[in-house]
Amino acid sequence: MKYFDEAAPRRASSAQQNLLTASLAALGIVVAAPGPAAAQTAFALPAPPFELPVLPSLSGSWTATVGIGGEYRPDFQGSKNWMLIPIPIFSVRRAGSMGGFRGPRDGASIALIDFGDLRVGPAAKFVAARNSKDRSELSGLGDVKAAFELGGFVEYYAVDWLRLRGDLRQGIGGHQGVVADLSADFIVPLIDRLTISAGPRFTWKSTKAVAPYFGVDAVHSLASGLPVFEAKGGAHSVGFGSQVTYRINPQWEVRAYVEYEKLLGAAADSPLVTRRGSSNQTTVGLGASYSFDFKIR
Amino acid sequence: MRNIIRCVGFLAFLAVSDAAAFETRATRLQAIKTVGVISALGDEMSVTRAGLVPLNTPGQSVSIRSWGLDELVVQQATTLLNGRFRVQQVSYPRDAFAAIRESAVAPVNLARGDPFKAVVRSDVSPKGLDAYVVISRAKSKIGSGRIVQGIGFAEYRTLLASYRVIHALYEVRVIDGKTFDVIEKRVASPLGNIETMRLQGPSQLVDGSFDGPAGIETLRAAIVDLITRSLPLTLGDMHLANTQQSQ
Repeated sequence: MKYFDEAAPRRASSAQQNLLTASLAALGIVVAAPGPAAAQTAFALPAPPFELPVLPSLSGSWTATVGIGGEYRPDFQGSKNWMLIPIPIFSVRRAGSMGGFRGPRDGASIALIDFGDLRVGPAAKFVAARNSKDRSELSGLGDVKAAFELGGFVEYYAVDWLRLRGDLRQGIGGHQGVVADLSADFIVPLIDRLTISAGPRFTWKSTKAVAPYFGVDAVHSLASGLPVFEAKGGAHSVGFGSQVTYRINPQWEVRAYVEYEKLLGAAADSPLVTRRGSSNQTTVGLGASYSFDFKIR
Repeated sequence: MRNIIRCVGFLAFLAVSDAAAFETRATRLQAIKTVGVISALGDEMSVTRAGLVPLNTPGQSVSIRSWGLDELVVQQATTLLNGRFRVQQVSYPRDAFAAIRESAVAPVNLARGDPFKAVVRSDVSPKGLDAYVVISRAKSKIGSGRIVQGIGFAEYRTLLASYRVIHALYEVRVIDGKTFDVIEKRVASPLGNIETMRLQGPSQLVDGSFDGPAGIETLRAAIVDLITRSLPLTLGDMHLANTQQSQ
């Protein structure tokens, strides 16, 4: 029980917390009004008309999160121009569950195996369609349909502050290739409500995942003026990402992130990139969300 | 077309069977007259360090058998349930209940069914009550994903401060005394605390030290307070106790 002897430096740190809060507000990162406490149930819903016996009951307290974010990112893979797109934020989870760490590049995933430090489960990602009419750089190149990438992920926390994650997904639709993402995130909570994370990234793609976006066949070469290029699979990109998450109060949370990718291999050598684009790909995102509790009877 | 008809038929079958399951649950709860209360929160308190901790920081546990928490829970639940049911004292092997663990593999839990059913069926006496109310440990996550369970004390370390949380995470099952099916199951919700750090169940940030016998008694009192405040709400949410009466 000696463990309990250590005095909690909570009071001593309150000045530091206030200073951080004031600094963030001064930087203009956030303007948000506090709402009702998340722990105070906003409303109660009646019990569902039926329940599946094999699934856990929906009854109980839940936390819903809604918000909006914006992402400033390349128009398309390999583009040198940026576009701003809105990102909706929505999640529902059991009240009190912390949600865990989530990186900006993570796709949708759910842990079916969860040992706490080791999590495994299915993962999915959506890749938007690329229309040649939308951008002058794509003129003469074929359209690529939207793709869904379905597969799985493995996440391992060597310690609480280091997450190693790998995703392996098979494309359906716009590309039928295989994509593997590897990432590491050092997660540093400054205080309970302010967390900074950062780490390296690496992506490998098979030929079928690269060719639709970076290959130029004879027909498209004639139409676009770009030389014929056969895009092969392999190391696709290396990069670095960082994220700041700040919980203003139990309801409001803001997050900002930046992800940098350096295209490699066929993606970097493609004439679409060398002549009309850039191998340096940067994404910047900002979002704010509001959480509230509700109850299902 | 044939496939579509099959799908619609299957969905209709599911809807009818599940509606029946819902009806059964509601009516089964109403039909219960006699219940026995089983508490298996365990005799150990976990001590967890999360956040910025060194490599190889294992969790620890401390024996709290002398605290008599399970007896207290049975006593409190009996008082709360007595308004609606006739509560009978039951005997059960507490260690057998406390040893039950959920699998980390979610499909395994779905496939094998509720593990408490078998223990209630085989190890609880007297048999023949309408239902058994089983109160057992629940789990939550703290920090990036560290799992904490049942009664415990957790320290979350950040770069500039440390935060200490006590928790009493538990769930309540109502198990049919004849068929031993789980009629209702509910995880105790977080209390009305509005800290930025809260767990998926009754928990509270704490200050100060718990050194010496007085400190341990203070810790016990704080844990007991979490249980005392949350149990009426949980049983009330499950329509097992009159919420207004219990509050």
